[in-house]
Amino acid sequence: MTPPRAAASSPVPRVLRTAVSGPRQEASVPPAIVLDNVVARFGELRALYLPRLEVRPGERLFVLGHSGSGKTTLARLIKGRLAPAAGRLRVLGQDPADPAQRRALARRVAMIDQEFHLVPRLRVVDNVLHGCLGRVPAWRSLVGLYPAAEWRRAESILDEVGLGGLGERRVDTLSGGQRQRAAIARALMQQADVILADEPVSNLDPELAEDALELLVGCVARRGVTLIVNLHQPELAKRFASRLVGLADGELVFDGPPEAFTAEDAQRVYRSGRPARSSDDQLAPGARAAAALQGLRLAHG
Amino acid sequence: MRRERARRLRYKVCGWLTGSALVGWAFWWSQVDLAALVRSGPRWRDFFTRMVPPDWSVTGVVLRSTVETLMIALAGTALAVVLALPLGFLAASNVTPAWIAQPVKWLLGFIRSIPLILVAFVCVMAVGLGPFPGMLAIAFHSLGMLGKFYAEEFETADPGIVAAIEGTGASWAQTVRYGVVPQSVPQIFSFTVYRLEMNFRDSAVLGLVGAGGIGYYIQLYMRSFRFERVVVLVVVVVVVVTLLDQLTFWVRRWAR
Repeated sequence: MTPPRAAASSPVPRVLRTAVSGPRQEASVPPAIVLDNVVARFGELRALYLPRLEVRPGERLFVLGHSGSGKTTLARLIKGRLAPAAGRLRVLGQDPADPAQRRALARRVAMIDQEFHLVPRLRVVDNVLHGCLGRVPAWRSLVGLYPAAEWRRAESILDEVGLGGLGERRVDTLSGGQRQRAAIARALMQQADVILADEPVSNLDPELAEDALELLVGCVARRGVTLIVNLHQPELAKRFASRLVGLADGELVFDGPPEAFTAEDAQRVYRSGRPARSSDDQLAPGARAAAALQGLRLAHG
Repeated sequence: MRRERARRLRYKVCGWLTGSALVGWAFWWSQVDLAALVRSGPRWRDFFTRMVPPDWSVTGVVLRSTVETLMIALAGTALAVVLALPLGFLAASNVTPAWIAQPVKWLLGFIRSIPLILVAFVCVMAVGLGPFPGMLAIAFHSLGMLGKFYAEEFETADPGIVAAIEGTGASWAQTVRYGVVPQSVPQIFSFTVYRLEMNFRDSAVLGLVGAGGIGYYIQLYMRSFRFERVVVLVVVVVVVVTLLDQLTFWVRRWAR
Protein backbone atom coordinates (compact mmCIF):
# COMPACT_ATOMS: atom_id res chain seq x y z
CA MET A 1 0.00 0.00 0.00
CA THR A 2 1.25 3.47 -0.84
CA PRO A 3 1.54 5.47 2.35
CA PRO A 4 -0.84 8.42 2.56
CA ARG A 5 0.77 11.64 1.53
CA ALA A 6 1.57 13.82 4.51
CA ALA A 7 -0.11 17.19 4.66
CA ALA A 8 2.19 19.72 3.15
CA SER A 9 1.86 23.40 2.65
CA SER A 10 1.46 24.07 -1.04
CA PRO A 11 0.20 27.13 -2.82
CA VAL A 12 -3.48 26.85 -3.62
CA PRO A 13 -5.30 29.07 -6.07
CA ARG A 14 -7.52 31.58 -4.30
CA VAL A 15 -10.70 30.19 -5.87
CA LEU A 16 -10.03 26.76 -4.46
CA ARG A 17 -9.56 27.83 -0.89
CA THR A 18 -12.21 26.57 1.52
CA ALA A 19 -15.27 28.77 1.67
CA VAL A 20 -15.96 28.08 5.33
CA SER A 21 -13.07 27.97 7.73
CA GLY A 22 -12.28 24.64 9.34
CA PRO A 23 -12.81 23.82 13.00
CA ARG A 24 -10.17 24.53 15.57
CA GLN A 25 -10.17 21.45 17.77
CA GLU A 26 -8.32 20.97 20.99
CA ALA A 27 -6.16 17.88 21.02
CA SER A 28 -7.89 16.64 24.18
CA VAL A 29 -11.34 16.40 22.54
CA PRO A 30 -12.05 12.72 21.83
CA PRO A 31 -12.49 11.88 18.16
CA ALA A 32 -16.02 11.50 16.83
CA ILE A 33 -15.03 8.53 14.70
CA VAL A 34 -12.13 6.13 15.02
CA LEU A 35 -11.24 3.39 12.55
CA ASP A 36 -8.40 1.15 13.58
CA ASN A 37 -7.20 -1.52 11.13
CA VAL A 38 -10.74 -1.77 9.81
CA VAL A 39 -11.35 -4.19 6.96
CA ALA A 40 -14.61 -4.44 5.03
CA ARG A 41 -15.22 -7.43 2.80
CA PHE A 42 -17.86 -8.50 0.30
CA GLY A 43 -17.28 -12.24 0.12
CA GLU A 44 -13.68 -12.74 -0.94
CA LEU A 45 -13.30 -9.14 -2.10
CA ARG A 46 -11.59 -6.74 0.28
CA ALA A 47 -13.51 -3.53 -0.32
CA LEU A 48 -11.77 -1.33 2.23
CA TYR A 49 -8.75 -1.39 4.50
CA LEU A 50 -8.03 1.57 6.77
CA PRO A 51 -5.08 1.15 9.14
CA ARG A 52 -5.99 4.32 11.07
CA LEU A 53 -8.46 7.11 10.52
CA GLU A 54 -9.74 9.56 13.10
CA VAL A 55 -12.38 12.20 12.51
CA ARG A 56 -12.52 15.06 14.99
CA PRO A 57 -15.84 16.55 16.11
CA GLY A 58 -16.89 19.41 13.83
CA GLU A 59 -14.61 18.38 10.99
CA ARG A 60 -15.83 18.56 7.41
CA LEU A 61 -14.20 15.49 5.95
CA PHE A 62 -14.61 15.01 2.21
CA VAL A 63 -13.77 11.56 0.85
CA LEU A 64 -12.58 11.42 -2.73
CA GLY A 65 -12.15 8.39 -4.93
CA HIS A 66 -13.36 6.76 -8.09
CA SER A 67 -16.37 4.46 -8.18
CA GLY A 68 -15.57 1.31 -6.25
CA SER A 69 -12.80 2.94 -4.25
CA GLY A 70 -14.55 2.24 -0.94
CA LYS A 71 -16.24 5.60 -0.22
CA THR A 72 -19.75 4.21 0.17
CA THR A 73 -18.43 1.24 2.10
CA LEU A 74 -16.83 3.65 4.56
CA ALA A 75 -20.11 5.54 4.98
CA ARG A 76 -22.03 2.30 5.45
CA LEU A 77 -19.55 1.14 8.09
CA ILE A 78 -19.94 4.38 10.04
CA LYS A 79 -23.73 4.27 9.72
CA GLY A 80 -23.78 0.68 10.96
CA ARG A 81 -25.27 -0.71 7.75
CA LEU A 82 -22.22 -2.88 7.31
CA ALA A 83 -20.16 -4.64 9.97
CA PRO A 84 -16.36 -4.59 9.61
CA ALA A 85 -14.78 -7.95 8.87
CA ALA A 86 -11.88 -7.01 11.12
CA GLY A 87 -10.55 -4.10 13.12
CA ARG A 88 -12.01 -1.64 15.57
CA LEU A 89 -14.58 0.99 14.68
CA ARG A 90 -15.99 3.50 17.14
CA VAL A 91 -18.53 6.17 16.27
CA LEU A 92 -19.22 8.68 19.05
CA GLY A 93 -17.56 6.17 21.38
CA GLN A 94 -19.88 3.35 20.40
CA ASP A 95 -19.69 0.32 18.16
CA PRO A 96 -22.17 0.77 15.29
CA ALA A 97 -22.21 -2.96 14.59
CA ASP A 98 -23.41 -3.73 18.12
CA PRO A 99 -27.17 -4.44 17.89
CA ALA A 100 -27.69 -3.17 21.44
CA GLN A 101 -26.31 0.27 20.50
CA ARG A 102 -27.51 0.43 16.92
CA ARG A 103 -30.77 2.34 17.37
CA ALA A 104 -29.37 4.90 19.82
CA LEU A 105 -26.40 5.47 17.52
CA ALA A 106 -28.57 5.63 14.40
CA ARG A 107 -30.34 8.62 15.95
CA ARG A 108 -26.98 10.42 16.36
CA VAL A 109 -25.64 9.66 12.87
CA ALA A 110 -27.73 10.99 9.99
CA MET A 111 -27.22 9.92 6.40
CA ILE A 112 -28.07 11.63 3.13
CA ASP A 113 -28.12 8.99 0.42
CA GLN A 114 -27.25 9.50 -3.21
CA GLU A 115 -30.87 8.77 -4.20
CA PHE A 116 -32.22 10.86 -1.26
CA HIS A 117 -34.67 8.05 -0.34
CA LEU A 118 -37.55 10.32 0.59
CA VAL A 119 -41.08 8.88 0.62
CA PRO A 120 -42.41 10.20 -2.72
CA ARG A 121 -46.13 10.03 -1.86
CA LEU A 122 -45.81 12.05 1.34
CA ARG A 123 -45.59 15.79 1.85
CA VAL A 124 -42.21 17.44 2.22
CA VAL A 125 -42.94 18.32 5.85
CA ASP A 126 -43.85 14.69 6.63
CA ASN A 127 -40.53 13.58 5.22
CA VAL A 128 -38.69 16.17 7.28
CA LEU A 129 -40.57 15.10 10.41
CA HIS A 130 -39.29 11.57 9.86
CA GLY A 131 -36.00 12.94 11.15
CA CYS A 132 -37.42 13.17 14.67
CA LEU A 133 -38.83 9.62 14.83
CA GLY A 134 -35.97 8.53 17.04
CA ARG A 135 -36.83 10.94 19.84
CA VAL A 136 -40.64 11.22 19.62
CA PRO A 137 -42.79 8.84 21.70
CA ALA A 138 -43.74 5.91 19.49
CA TRP A 139 -47.52 6.19 19.98
CA ARG A 140 -47.51 9.87 18.99
CA SER A 141 -45.50 9.31 15.85
CA LEU A 142 -47.49 6.24 14.83
CA VAL A 143 -50.72 8.26 14.71
CA GLY A 144 -48.97 11.28 13.22
CA LEU A 145 -49.34 13.46 16.32
CA TYR A 146 -45.88 15.02 16.42
CA PRO A 147 -45.28 17.50 19.26
CA ALA A 148 -45.79 21.17 18.37
CA ALA A 149 -42.10 21.87 19.02
CA GLU A 150 -41.12 19.34 16.36
CA TRP A 151 -43.51 20.94 13.87
CA ARG A 152 -41.96 24.34 14.57
CA ARG A 153 -38.48 22.89 14.19
CA ALA A 154 -39.43 21.23 10.87
CA GLU A 155 -40.85 24.48 9.53
CA SER A 156 -37.80 26.42 10.66
CA ILE A 157 -35.47 23.92 8.96
CA LEU A 158 -37.54 24.05 5.79
CA ASP A 159 -37.09 27.82 5.80
CA GLU A 160 -33.37 27.39 6.43
CA VAL A 161 -32.90 25.08 3.43
CA GLY A 162 -35.00 27.30 1.18
CA LEU A 163 -38.11 25.13 1.07
CA GLY A 164 -40.31 27.44 3.15
CA GLY A 165 -43.80 27.34 1.69
CA LEU A 166 -43.23 24.00 0.00
CA GLY A 167 -43.89 21.85 3.07
CA GLU A 168 -47.37 20.85 1.91
CA ARG A 169 -46.17 19.74 -1.54
CA ARG A 170 -45.77 16.05 -2.27
CA VAL A 171 -42.14 15.04 -2.68
CA ASP A 172 -42.81 13.50 -6.08
CA THR A 173 -43.74 16.95 -7.40
CA LEU A 174 -40.38 18.48 -6.42
CA SER A 175 -37.40 19.04 -8.69
CA GLY A 176 -34.12 17.21 -8.11
CA GLY A 177 -32.57 20.19 -6.34
CA GLN A 178 -35.61 20.61 -4.09
CA ARG A 179 -35.54 16.92 -3.18
CA GLN A 180 -31.89 17.29 -2.30
CA ARG A 181 -32.80 20.14 0.06
CA ALA A 182 -35.62 18.06 1.57
CA ALA A 183 -33.13 15.25 2.22
CA ILE A 184 -30.77 17.74 3.89
CA ALA A 185 -33.71 19.04 5.97
CA ARG A 186 -34.55 15.53 7.17
CA ALA A 187 -30.93 14.97 8.19
CA LEU A 188 -30.86 18.31 10.06
CA MET A 189 -34.18 17.46 11.76
CA GLN A 190 -32.50 14.40 13.21
CA GLN A 191 -30.26 16.71 15.29
CA ALA A 192 -27.45 14.23 14.77
CA ASP A 193 -23.85 14.68 15.89
CA VAL A 194 -22.52 13.26 12.62
CA ILE A 195 -23.96 13.72 9.13
CA LEU A 196 -22.88 11.41 6.34
CA ALA A 197 -23.57 12.38 2.76
CA ASP A 198 -22.93 9.74 0.10
CA GLU A 199 -22.49 11.34 -3.32
CA PRO A 200 -25.11 13.93 -2.37
CA VAL A 201 -24.79 15.98 -5.54
CA SER A 202 -24.23 13.31 -8.16
CA ASN A 203 -27.81 13.72 -9.48
CA LEU A 204 -27.56 17.50 -9.78
CA ASP A 205 -26.12 19.74 -12.46
CA PRO A 206 -22.84 21.53 -11.55
CA GLU A 207 -24.48 24.78 -10.47
CA LEU A 208 -27.09 23.10 -8.29
CA ALA A 209 -24.40 20.80 -6.91
CA GLU A 210 -22.38 23.76 -5.72
CA ASP A 211 -25.46 25.40 -4.18
CA ALA A 212 -26.44 22.17 -2.42
CA LEU A 213 -22.97 21.70 -0.96
CA GLU A 214 -22.84 25.33 0.14
CA LEU A 215 -26.20 24.88 1.87
CA LEU A 216 -25.18 21.61 3.52
CA VAL A 217 -21.83 22.93 4.72
CA GLY A 218 -23.43 26.16 5.95
CA CYS A 219 -26.14 24.34 7.94
CA VAL A 220 -23.62 21.92 9.39
CA ALA A 221 -21.17 24.69 10.31
CA ARG A 222 -23.90 26.57 12.20
CA ARG A 223 -24.59 23.45 14.26
CA GLY A 224 -20.97 22.39 14.77
CA VAL A 225 -21.81 18.93 13.48
CA THR A 226 -19.24 16.52 12.07
CA LEU A 227 -19.74 16.12 8.33
CA ILE A 228 -18.44 13.37 6.09
CA VAL A 229 -19.14 13.75 2.39
CA ASN A 230 -18.32 11.29 -0.36
CA LEU A 231 -17.67 13.17 -3.55
CA HIS A 232 -16.36 12.71 -7.05
CA GLN A 233 -15.46 16.33 -7.73
CA PRO A 234 -12.09 17.29 -6.19
CA GLU A 235 -12.57 20.97 -6.99
CA LEU A 236 -15.80 21.11 -4.96
CA ALA A 237 -14.28 19.06 -2.16
CA LYS A 238 -11.31 21.43 -1.91
CA ARG A 239 -13.65 24.37 -1.67
CA PHE A 240 -15.87 23.06 1.10
CA ALA A 241 -13.79 20.56 3.10
CA SER A 242 -11.74 21.19 6.20
CA ARG A 243 -9.96 17.91 5.49
CA LEU A 244 -9.67 15.59 2.52
CA VAL A 245 -9.25 11.86 2.39
CA GLY A 246 -8.47 10.06 -0.85
CA LEU A 247 -9.29 6.41 -1.38
CA ALA A 248 -8.10 4.22 -4.21
CA ASP A 249 -8.98 0.55 -4.51
CA GLY A 250 -10.12 0.47 -0.90
CA GLU A 251 -6.97 1.98 0.54
CA LEU A 252 -6.11 5.38 1.97
CA VAL A 253 -3.82 7.30 -0.41
CA PHE A 254 -4.29 10.84 0.86
CA ASP A 255 -5.20 12.39 4.19
CA GLY A 256 -4.66 16.05 4.78
CA PRO A 257 -5.97 19.59 4.50
CA PRO A 258 -7.55 20.58 1.19
CA GLU A 259 -4.84 23.06 0.34
CA ALA A 260 -2.31 20.23 0.40
CA PHE A 261 -4.22 18.21 -2.21
CA THR A 262 -2.38 18.66 -5.47
CA ALA A 263 -2.82 17.46 -9.02
CA GLU A 264 -0.28 14.75 -8.20
CA ASP A 265 -2.50 13.57 -5.33
CA ALA A 266 -5.49 13.57 -7.64
CA GLN A 267 -3.53 11.31 -9.98
CA ARG A 268 -2.92 8.88 -7.15
CA VAL A 269 -6.53 8.96 -5.92
CA TYR A 270 -7.85 8.36 -9.41
CA ARG A 271 -4.97 6.19 -10.58
CA SER A 272 -7.27 3.26 -11.31
CA GLY A 273 -10.96 2.76 -11.78
CA ARG A 274 -13.55 1.93 -14.33
CA PRO A 275 -12.71 1.81 -18.02
CA ALA A 276 -13.33 4.88 -20.17
CA ARG A 277 -16.90 5.18 -21.46
CA SER A 278 -17.27 8.54 -23.16
CA SER A 279 -15.09 10.96 -25.01
CA ASP A 280 -14.32 12.79 -21.76
CA ASP A 281 -13.36 9.47 -20.25
CA GLN A 282 -10.68 9.01 -22.88
CA LEU A 283 -8.49 10.78 -20.36
CA ALA A 284 -7.25 8.50 -17.62
CA PRO A 285 -9.27 9.07 -14.42
CA GLY A 286 -6.29 10.56 -12.67
CA ALA A 287 -5.66 12.94 -15.53
CA ARG A 288 -9.30 14.04 -15.46
CA ALA A 289 -9.15 14.81 -11.75
CA ALA A 290 -5.93 16.69 -12.20
CA ALA A 291 -7.41 18.63 -15.09
CA ALA A 292 -10.43 19.47 -12.95
CA LEU A 293 -8.12 20.86 -10.31
CA GLN A 294 -6.57 23.09 -12.89
CA GLY A 295 -9.90 24.68 -13.52
CA LEU A 296 -11.08 22.65 -16.47
CA ARG A 297 -14.69 21.56 -16.16
CA LEU A 298 -14.99 18.01 -17.36
CA ALA A 299 -18.08 15.88 -17.18
CA HIS A 300 -17.76 13.21 -14.55
CA GLY A 301 -19.10 9.72 -15.29
CA MET B 1 -22.58 -19.19 -30.38
CA ARG B 2 -24.48 -21.21 -33.00
CA ARG B 3 -24.73 -24.18 -30.62
CA GLU B 4 -26.07 -21.86 -27.93
CA ARG B 5 -28.76 -20.57 -30.32
CA ALA B 6 -29.68 -24.14 -31.28
CA ARG B 7 -29.89 -25.11 -27.62
CA ARG B 8 -32.23 -22.14 -26.92
CA LEU B 9 -34.38 -23.05 -29.91
CA ARG B 10 -34.68 -26.64 -28.64
CA TYR B 11 -35.76 -25.34 -25.23
CA LYS B 12 -38.30 -23.00 -26.82
CA VAL B 13 -39.80 -25.75 -29.00
CA CYS B 14 -39.93 -28.17 -26.06
CA GLY B 15 -41.65 -25.49 -23.95
CA TRP B 16 -44.31 -24.80 -26.56
CA LEU B 17 -44.92 -28.50 -27.19
CA THR B 18 -45.23 -29.24 -23.46
CA GLY B 19 -47.59 -26.30 -22.90
CA SER B 20 -49.75 -27.24 -25.88
CA ALA B 21 -49.92 -30.88 -24.78
CA LEU B 22 -50.97 -29.80 -21.28
CA VAL B 23 -53.79 -27.58 -22.60
CA GLY B 24 -54.91 -30.33 -25.00
CA TRP B 25 -55.01 -32.80 -22.13
CA ALA B 26 -57.10 -30.31 -20.11
CA PHE B 27 -59.65 -30.11 -22.95
CA TRP B 28 -59.77 -33.90 -23.18
CA TRP B 29 -60.21 -34.16 -19.42
CA SER B 30 -63.09 -31.63 -19.60
CA GLN B 31 -64.87 -34.01 -22.08
CA VAL B 32 -65.29 -31.25 -24.62
CA ASP B 33 -68.16 -32.35 -26.90
CA LEU B 34 -68.68 -29.99 -29.85
CA ALA B 35 -71.56 -32.12 -31.18
CA ALA B 36 -73.47 -31.68 -27.91
CA LEU B 37 -72.80 -27.94 -28.12
CA VAL B 38 -74.27 -27.81 -31.62
CA ARG B 39 -77.29 -29.93 -30.58
CA SER B 40 -77.96 -27.60 -27.59
CA GLY B 41 -78.94 -24.69 -29.84
CA PRO B 42 -82.73 -24.93 -29.33
CA ARG B 43 -82.31 -25.10 -25.56
CA TRP B 44 -80.16 -21.95 -25.51
CA ARG B 45 -82.76 -20.24 -27.65
CA ASP B 46 -85.56 -21.36 -25.33
CA PHE B 47 -83.61 -20.14 -22.30
CA PHE B 48 -82.94 -16.67 -23.74
CA THR B 49 -86.50 -16.38 -25.15
CA ARG B 50 -88.01 -16.97 -21.73
CA MET B 51 -85.81 -14.20 -20.29
CA VAL B 52 -87.73 -11.52 -22.17
CA PRO B 53 -89.60 -9.50 -21.35
CA PRO B 54 -88.00 -9.16 -17.89
CA ASP B 55 -90.39 -9.27 -14.94
CA TRP B 56 -89.59 -5.90 -13.35
CA SER B 57 -92.19 -6.50 -10.61
CA VAL B 58 -89.48 -8.24 -8.59
CA THR B 59 -87.14 -5.22 -8.75
CA GLY B 60 -87.86 -4.20 -5.14
CA VAL B 61 -87.12 -7.68 -3.78
CA VAL B 62 -84.05 -7.96 -5.96
CA LEU B 63 -82.71 -4.56 -4.86
CA ARG B 64 -83.25 -5.40 -1.18
CA SER B 65 -81.40 -8.70 -1.55
CA THR B 66 -78.69 -6.97 -3.58
CA VAL B 67 -78.15 -4.47 -0.78
CA GLU B 68 -77.95 -7.37 1.65
CA THR B 69 -75.36 -9.06 -0.58
CA LEU B 70 -73.40 -5.83 -0.85
CA MET B 71 -73.46 -5.44 2.94
CA ILE B 72 -72.28 -9.04 3.39
CA ALA B 73 -69.43 -8.33 0.97
CA LEU B 74 -68.56 -5.02 2.63
CA ALA B 75 -68.60 -6.35 6.20
CA GLY B 76 -66.73 -9.49 5.17
CA THR B 77 -64.09 -7.48 3.31
CA ALA B 78 -63.69 -5.06 6.23
CA LEU B 79 -63.19 -7.91 8.70
CA ALA B 80 -60.74 -9.55 6.30
CA VAL B 81 -58.74 -6.31 5.96
CA VAL B 82 -58.49 -5.92 9.74
CA LEU B 83 -57.12 -9.44 10.04
CA ALA B 84 -55.09 -9.46 6.83
CA LEU B 85 -53.04 -6.33 7.57
CA PRO B 86 -51.24 -7.71 10.65
CA LEU B 87 -50.91 -11.11 8.98
CA GLY B 88 -49.51 -9.36 5.90
CA PHE B 89 -46.86 -7.65 8.03
CA LEU B 90 -46.02 -10.94 9.70
CA ALA B 91 -45.70 -12.66 6.32
CA ALA B 92 -43.53 -9.94 4.74
CA SER B 93 -39.93 -11.13 4.76
CA ASN B 94 -38.47 -7.59 4.69
CA VAL B 95 -40.34 -6.67 7.88
CA THR B 96 -40.48 -9.92 9.86
CA PRO B 97 -37.82 -12.59 10.43
CA ALA B 98 -38.09 -15.56 8.09
CA TRP B 99 -38.93 -17.99 10.89
CA ILE B 100 -42.15 -16.06 11.46
CA ALA B 101 -42.85 -14.94 7.89
CA GLN B 102 -42.69 -18.40 6.29
CA PRO B 103 -45.19 -20.16 8.63
CA VAL B 104 -47.58 -17.20 8.27
CA LYS B 105 -47.30 -17.52 4.49
CA TRP B 106 -48.16 -21.23 4.79
CA LEU B 107 -51.15 -20.36 6.99
CA LEU B 108 -52.41 -17.84 4.42
CA GLY B 109 -51.93 -20.42 1.66
CA PHE B 110 -53.94 -22.97 3.67
CA ILE B 111 -56.78 -20.47 4.18
CA ARG B 112 -56.78 -19.63 0.46
CA SER B 113 -56.95 -23.26 -0.57
CA ILE B 114 -60.28 -23.98 1.16
CA PRO B 115 -63.14 -23.45 -1.34
CA LEU B 116 -65.52 -20.65 -0.41
CA ILE B 117 -68.61 -22.83 -0.75
CA LEU B 118 -67.17 -25.28 1.79
CA VAL B 119 -66.40 -22.45 4.24
CA ALA B 120 -69.93 -21.15 3.77
CA PHE B 121 -71.42 -24.61 4.48
CA VAL B 122 -69.41 -24.88 7.68
CA CYS B 123 -70.40 -21.35 8.78
CA VAL B 124 -74.10 -22.03 8.10
CA MET B 125 -73.87 -25.25 10.11
CA ALA B 126 -72.08 -23.42 12.92
CA VAL B 127 -74.14 -20.22 13.30
CA GLY B 128 -77.34 -20.96 11.38
CA LEU B 129 -78.93 -19.51 8.23
CA GLY B 130 -78.80 -15.83 7.19
CA PRO B 131 -76.31 -13.15 6.20
CA PHE B 132 -74.03 -13.61 9.22
CA PRO B 133 -72.53 -16.96 8.14
CA GLY B 134 -72.15 -15.49 4.66
CA MET B 135 -70.18 -12.58 6.06
CA LEU B 136 -67.97 -14.94 8.08
CA ALA B 137 -67.30 -17.11 5.04
CA ILE B 138 -66.41 -14.09 2.89
CA ALA B 139 -64.09 -12.73 5.58
CA PHE B 140 -62.31 -16.06 6.06
CA HIS B 141 -61.90 -16.70 2.35
CA SER B 142 -60.70 -13.14 1.60
CA LEU B 143 -58.22 -13.24 4.47
CA GLY B 144 -55.96 -15.71 2.66
CA MET B 145 -55.76 -13.71 -0.53
CA LEU B 146 -55.58 -10.24 1.02
CA GLY B 147 -52.91 -11.34 3.53
CA LYS B 148 -50.77 -12.78 0.73
CA PHE B 149 -51.23 -9.71 -1.43
CA TYR B 150 -50.45 -7.28 1.39
CA ALA B 151 -47.32 -9.26 2.29
CA GLU B 152 -46.11 -9.20 -1.31
CA GLU B 153 -46.84 -5.50 -1.56
CA PHE B 154 -44.90 -4.75 1.64
CA GLU B 155 -42.02 -6.82 0.29
CA THR B 156 -41.75 -4.63 -2.80
CA ALA B 157 -41.18 -1.48 -0.69
CA ASP B 158 -37.97 0.33 -1.72
CA PRO B 159 -35.36 -0.96 0.76
CA GLY B 160 -33.46 2.33 0.46
CA ILE B 161 -36.41 4.27 1.88
CA VAL B 162 -36.91 1.69 4.62
CA ALA B 163 -33.21 1.95 5.53
CA ALA B 164 -33.43 5.75 5.50
CA ILE B 165 -36.33 5.75 7.97
CA GLU B 166 -34.63 3.14 10.15
CA GLY B 167 -31.48 5.27 9.99
CA THR B 168 -33.22 8.14 11.80
CA GLY B 169 -33.34 5.95 14.91
CA ALA B 170 -36.93 4.90 14.27
CA SER B 171 -38.27 1.79 16.01
CA TRP B 172 -39.49 -1.27 14.08
CA ALA B 173 -43.09 -0.07 14.26
CA GLN B 174 -42.15 3.45 13.15
CA THR B 175 -40.07 2.07 10.29
CA VAL B 176 -43.00 -0.03 9.10
CA ARG B 177 -45.46 2.84 9.57
CA TYR B 178 -43.40 5.45 7.69
CA GLY B 179 -41.01 3.41 5.55
CA VAL B 180 -43.17 0.54 4.31
CA VAL B 181 -46.86 1.49 4.58
CA PRO B 182 -46.83 4.77 2.60
CA GLN B 183 -45.16 3.03 -0.32
CA SER B 184 -47.78 0.26 -0.31
CA VAL B 185 -50.94 2.31 0.27
CA PRO B 186 -52.01 2.80 -3.38
CA GLN B 187 -51.82 -0.89 -4.23
CA ILE B 188 -53.41 -1.91 -0.93
CA PHE B 189 -56.41 0.37 -1.49
CA SER B 190 -56.71 -0.68 -5.08
CA PHE B 191 -56.61 -4.40 -4.40
CA THR B 192 -58.93 -4.13 -1.38
CA VAL B 193 -61.63 -2.47 -3.50
CA TYR B 194 -61.05 -5.05 -6.21
CA ARG B 195 -61.48 -7.76 -3.57
CA LEU B 196 -64.73 -6.08 -2.49
CA GLU B 197 -65.98 -6.42 -6.05
CA MET B 198 -64.96 -10.09 -6.10
CA ASN B 199 -66.64 -10.62 -2.74
CA PHE B 200 -69.88 -9.13 -4.04
CA ARG B 201 -69.87 -11.66 -6.87
CA ASP B 202 -68.93 -14.47 -4.47
CA SER B 203 -71.64 -13.38 -2.00
CA ALA B 204 -74.20 -13.69 -4.77
CA VAL B 205 -73.46 -17.41 -4.84
CA LEU B 206 -73.56 -17.90 -1.07
CA GLY B 207 -77.38 -17.79 -0.99
CA LEU B 208 -77.28 -21.23 -2.60
CA VAL B 209 -76.20 -22.69 0.74
CA GLY B 210 -78.55 -20.57 2.83
CA ALA B 211 -76.10 -17.78 3.61
CA GLY B 212 -78.46 -14.97 2.57
CA GLY B 213 -78.39 -12.34 -0.14
CA ILE B 214 -79.16 -12.40 -3.81
CA GLY B 215 -78.11 -16.03 -4.17
CA TYR B 216 -81.30 -17.16 -2.45
CA TYR B 217 -83.39 -15.58 -5.21
CA ILE B 218 -81.09 -16.89 -7.93
CA GLN B 219 -81.71 -20.46 -6.85
CA LEU B 220 -85.43 -19.79 -6.19
CA TYR B 221 -86.09 -18.35 -9.66
CA MET B 222 -83.83 -20.83 -11.46
CA ARG B 223 -85.49 -23.86 -9.85
CA SER B 224 -88.93 -22.52 -10.72
CA PHE B 225 -87.78 -21.71 -14.30
CA ARG B 226 -88.68 -18.00 -13.84
CA PHE B 227 -85.97 -16.83 -16.25
CA GLU B 228 -87.75 -13.48 -16.80
CA ARG B 229 -86.99 -12.78 -13.12
CA VAL B 230 -83.44 -14.18 -13.32
CA VAL B 231 -82.62 -11.59 -15.97
CA VAL B 232 -83.56 -8.80 -13.52
CA LEU B 233 -81.11 -10.28 -11.04
CA VAL B 234 -78.43 -10.39 -13.71
CA VAL B 235 -79.02 -6.77 -14.71
CA VAL B 236 -78.77 -5.57 -11.09
CA VAL B 237 -75.58 -7.57 -10.47
CA VAL B 238 -74.00 -6.22 -13.65
CA VAL B 239 -74.84 -2.64 -12.64
CA VAL B 240 -73.41 -3.06 -9.13
CA VAL B 241 -70.23 -4.73 -10.41
CA THR B 242 -69.76 -1.94 -12.95
CA LEU B 243 -70.16 0.68 -10.23
CA LEU B 244 -67.64 -1.15 -8.03
CA ASP B 245 -65.25 -1.29 -10.95
CA GLN B 246 -65.56 2.48 -11.33
CA LEU B 247 -65.04 2.86 -7.59
CA THR B 248 -61.82 0.85 -7.89
CA PHE B 249 -60.62 3.24 -10.57
CA TRP B 250 -61.41 6.32 -8.44
CA VAL B 251 -59.77 4.82 -5.35
CA ARG B 252 -56.65 3.94 -7.30
CA ARG B 253 -56.43 7.47 -8.67
CA TRP B 254 -57.05 9.03 -5.26
CA ALA B 255 -54.53 6.86 -3.42
CA ARG B 256 -51.61 6.98 -5.85
